[in-house]
Amino acid sequence: MNKLKQLLSDDHWIVPFLKFQKAGLFWSIFLSLLTTLAAGALMFVSGYLISRAAQRPDNILLIYVPIVLTRGFGIARPVFRYTQRLVSHNWVLRVVSQARKRLYSSMASQASSIRGRMQTGEVLSLLADDLDRLQNLYLRTLFPLGAGILLYIFVSLAFGIVNWLFMIWWFLVLAIILIVIPAISFVINRPRVHHQKKLQNKLYTDATDAVLGLQDWVLSGRQNDLVAYQGQVMSELADTKNKEMRFGWWRDFTIQALVLILVITTLLWAGNQFSDNHVMVNYIAAFTLAIFPLVDSFIGVNQGVSEASFYEDSIERLNDLPLPTVMSDSVSHIHNATINFKNVTFKYDEQLIIDQLNLTIHSGEKIALLGRSGAGKTTLLKLLSGDIEPNNGTVTIDDQPTINLQQQLSHIVAVLDQQGYLFNTTILNNVRMGNVDATDEQVKAAIKQAGLQALIESLPDQYETQMQEAGARFSGGEQQRFALARILLQDAPIVILDEPTVSLDPKTESDVLTQIFTVLHDRTIIWVTHHLTGIDHVDHVYFLESGNFTLADTPEKLKKTSPRFQQLLAMDDY
Amino acid sequence: MIDKRLFQLNGIIKTLIGLVLMTGLQGLSILAQGIFLARAIVGFWEGQSLSGIGIDIISFAVAFLMRQLLIVLKNQYMSHFADRAVETYRVQLLSKYIEIGPSVIAKTGTGTAVTTLGAGLDNVKNYFQLLLIKVFDLSIIPWLILIYIFYLKWEQGLFLLLIFPVVIIFFIILGLAAQSKADAEFANFKNLNNRFVDALRGLPTLKQLGLADSYSDEIYNISEDYRKTTMRTLRVAITSTFALDFFTTLSIAVVAVFLGFDLLDGKMALLPALSILILAPEYFLPLRNFSDDYHATLNGKNALTDVMDILGKPSVKNRHKLLLDQWRADSELELAQVSYGYEDKLVLKNIDIHIKGYQKIAIVGESGSGKSTLLNILGGFLQPNTGEIKLNGQDLPHLMQSDWQKQFFYMPQQPYIFHDTLRGNIKFYAQHATDKGIQLAVVQAGLTQLVSELPNGLDTIIGEGGRQLSGGQAQRVSLARMLLDDQRQVLLFDEPTAHLDIETEYDLKQTMAPILDSHLVFFATHRLHWLDQMDYVIVLRNGEIVEQGLPQNLLDKPDSQLNILRHELGGRQ
Repeated sequence: MNKLKQLLSDDHWIVPFLKFQKAGLFWSIFLSLLTTLAAGALMFVSGYLISRAAQRPDNILLIYVPIVLTRGFGIARPVFRYTQRLVSHNWVLRVVSQARKRLYSSMASQASSIRGRMQTGEVLSLLADDLDRLQNLYLRTLFPLGAGILLYIFVSLAFGIVNWLFMIWWFLVLAIILIVIPAISFVINRPRVHHQKKLQNKLYTDATDAVLGLQDWVLSGRQNDLVAYQGQVMSELADTKNKEMRFGWWRDFTIQALVLILVITTLLWAGNQFSDNHVMVNYIAAFTLAIFPLVDSFIGVNQGVSEASFYEDSIERLNDLPLPTVMSDSVSHIHNATINFKNVTFKYDEQLIIDQLNLTIHSGEKIALLGRSGAGKTTLLKLLSGDIEPNNGTVTIDDQPTINLQQQLSHIVAVLDQQGYLFNTTILNNVRMGNVDATDEQVKAAIKQAGLQALIESLPDQYETQMQEAGARFSGGEQQRFALARILLQDAPIVILDEPTVSLDPKTESDVLTQIFTVLHDRTIIWVTHHLTGIDHVDHVYFLESGNFTLADTPEKLKKTSPRFQQLLAMDDY
Repeated sequence: MIDKRLFQLNGIIKTLIGLVLMTGLQGLSILAQGIFLARAIVGFWEGQSLSGIGIDIISFAVAFLMRQLLIVLKNQYMSHFADRAVETYRVQLLSKYIEIGPSVIAKTGTGTAVTTLGAGLDNVKNYFQLLLIKVFDLSIIPWLILIYIFYLKWEQGLFLLLIFPVVIIFFIILGLAAQSKADAEFANFKNLNNRFVDALRGLPTLKQLGLADSYSDEIYNISEDYRKTTMRTLRVAITSTFALDFFTTLSIAVVAVFLGFDLLDGKMALLPALSILILAPEYFLPLRNFSDDYHATLNGKNALTDVMDILGKPSVKNRHKLLLDQWRADSELELAQVSYGYEDKLVLKNIDIHIKGYQKIAIVGESGSGKSTLLNILGGFLQPNTGEIKLNGQDLPHLMQSDWQKQFFYMPQQPYIFHDTLRGNIKFYAQHATDKGIQLAVVQAGLTQLVSELPNGLDTIIGEGGRQLSGGQAQRVSLARMLLDDQRQVLLFDEPTAHLDIETEYDLKQTMAPILDSHLVFFATHRLHWLDQMDYVIVLRNGEIVEQGLPQNLLDKPDSQLNILRHELGGRQ
């Protein structure tokens, strides 16, 4: 419960959006109330109508009003319902638009220009799904709950006009149906829902283990283990779900039993209250029949509330996102692209990642950076781009700390990484993202420089060809060349190459590297690479291990003096 | 409405008979509930004494509770059945996966295979549980009620009977219109959705280009376009529910008004009229319930189709033809004129190989030359289209032989790491390994440092959702698996070091080289430095063997295919 309170007090994804566009919210709930009322009124009026008609009044005009009302409510209910669904969906989608923008800004404010090892794409898709799930929280839980409470107040007050003692009775029974039972089912189902979600995740990992690890299951001769292993979680999940469903069925049964009590007491009360009046006696049928459609909507509230725990971790994940920050506008100018790491130390979780490292890269110099995974290459790049600040020492470009250069970083440092991301728009638009002010001619010149002229000419739509999702239309080598064209246009003095050829075959790799170093000959280049192919392109080679350089010199010298380098080179140069 | 495939399930007929009985009983309870409520109301209306009405009220209560109880019972009954059905499918599905093997699954998409096994079966369960109850409700309850209404007043019965198909026809017609509208907007939807995910995924790139901040308005615009498109579709889509709603509610109103007129004219009494009014909503209720869950059942139906599609795939035959107890120094394997490919495009052409004993064979070539395919044929993961295979003189149609697959250990480019402890991962192939054996394998495979870094050592959970291993570490885990299971005399390697950084590759090579001795080794790679560890080489180009022989001999010949390949791969000139 405390956790729940915490969740609500930290919330900046649900409550703020409820305040947004109050009119739409009001109509969503109000129309939902009207829908139920119309359904109740239909049965109320028709009950009255036929009772009154059975008394065979002399004048048809005496039942004229109920006749009209019956038809009216018969039409009103579907119309209200239709309108309610449109209004509420529209409202929710407006909220989603706002929420998406907010999600994006939040992610953007903490995004790094250096792609880490971890695949960020999945995390992002997860968050996008969370937003979609919030739609259901509004539509299935919050709106019915709001409408249910309004209906509760309305019905109780309506009874109050007729008989206030009986109003208290209704007030109590409805409180059990609308407040006590949902609260109980929320509390009881919450751990079940959590357990169910855990099992569902496990089922997913197990299914992944079964399919992607299939070769190992087969070759190890453990086929039977696979079948048994997978079945455990499946049956446990079915068990949990069944418990949850059984609870729901019996809960609905209990509610129906309470409805039965309401119906019988109302019948008895109405029979007693109206029996001595020739006209009032017709209200017996009216009151009794109206109960059924009214309580139907309370059952919906119960379902919605027990489902509410399903959204908890989505909300938690969203609330854990940082609030979008506004960066300072201080702009400093760079005249000389000399990079300086002075005695830099960086720790993460008490673990030393970079250890008193010194490095100077002069303007126009080209260096290669090698090291095993985990040696600190990514951290070094993040320090350089000012994404993180060193615990000790300074990282500067032209004597200005990189942390202060965030705002104009894209004018100083360009990055070409493993998967130079191509957006789902035309070729021309993609490349132009390097410099949005570039003319068509400049963009085309950059594409030509990157060696893509022949490819473009072979396409029916030429420069207007759509990239398709994540550039999937083009081969790995072509994608990297498009990213290269973008960087040419960006025209930053420093270029970080973060394993740009790691996924290419050897022949393409060598071609792309030559192209890169040719067209970027006048820039400062920091090239992170996983092997020594093309090492002669650089002026200096640095081997990083445990946060410092174990080997650093020109390739020529290393070839002559370092046995370690010779061993490694022999593998690449066989 | 009901899938024919449902009737192939075990015990379905018995289950359905039970369901019919319960639904019939429920229908009768609904009738009784309506009739006794009407009697009680009329009793009060006529001013009868409570003692006379009491029996009606009690009967109403009993019928009411009976009906609600039957709903619970039916749900439990069908959920039990659905669980059993899904369990049957699960076992069949996994056996099928095992039979057709990883290569075929990879071709149809591992994503689909995972989803079918996980969420897919869950949907199938909902389908069985929901659909059958709703279909039987719809095909029994309204008609019981209708018969009674006919008995009371045939005009009303006829009206309700005629309106039923009208409701369904409108529901279907408008549903189809909504579907075509949704289809028309589908591309638009997909595009808008992709653009949002696209922007999120490309965020580091946007940041690199200095565009990250200005893109948030673009996001908002995309979302608003999405909203407008959705609302356009929705306006049409909800009309089919609206039609259903409209006709059923209006029918009740019409029935009430006509009953009113009949009563006014003295053509009928209050009791039958009130009974009809109470029963009219019940008559439509099963139809409403059915349409509410219509979409949920569609998902289930598609999931069932996926399951059935996979179960319908042909299995590989003759998987136990080979009799082989162990690969020995004098064992022989021969491939003659083996080809593999799809239709007119052959990936492997006329492969001839003759192998004896513990040879160490490098399979080299550029990417796309057929190295992996050849290795897959040798491992039995793919079956050749044509050609002959002989093992120790036994003719075999393919190498997917249980006795052969027991002989070898396969190390892929990216070994799969299970969501399990490091220990569980290492002893995957040797379940009964001792702690001592595991420790030794850890040391030999060079995993000592990793174990010391992990918070719980060997008992740390790794793999998907746990701690992720680097490529080199995953290879070492695979090596440890291999070392622990020392019964296997044949080793298959598919580019095990191609994507590693050069220092890790160097370290790993030092670990691997000594293990290769006294094994039959197939080593597919384009990293030619491995030739030093091999005693035979097969050079592939465009799916054909262009050269095979002793590595040193071929290297010494300046114009050998091996040397040509070396130059192409950028080796020393």
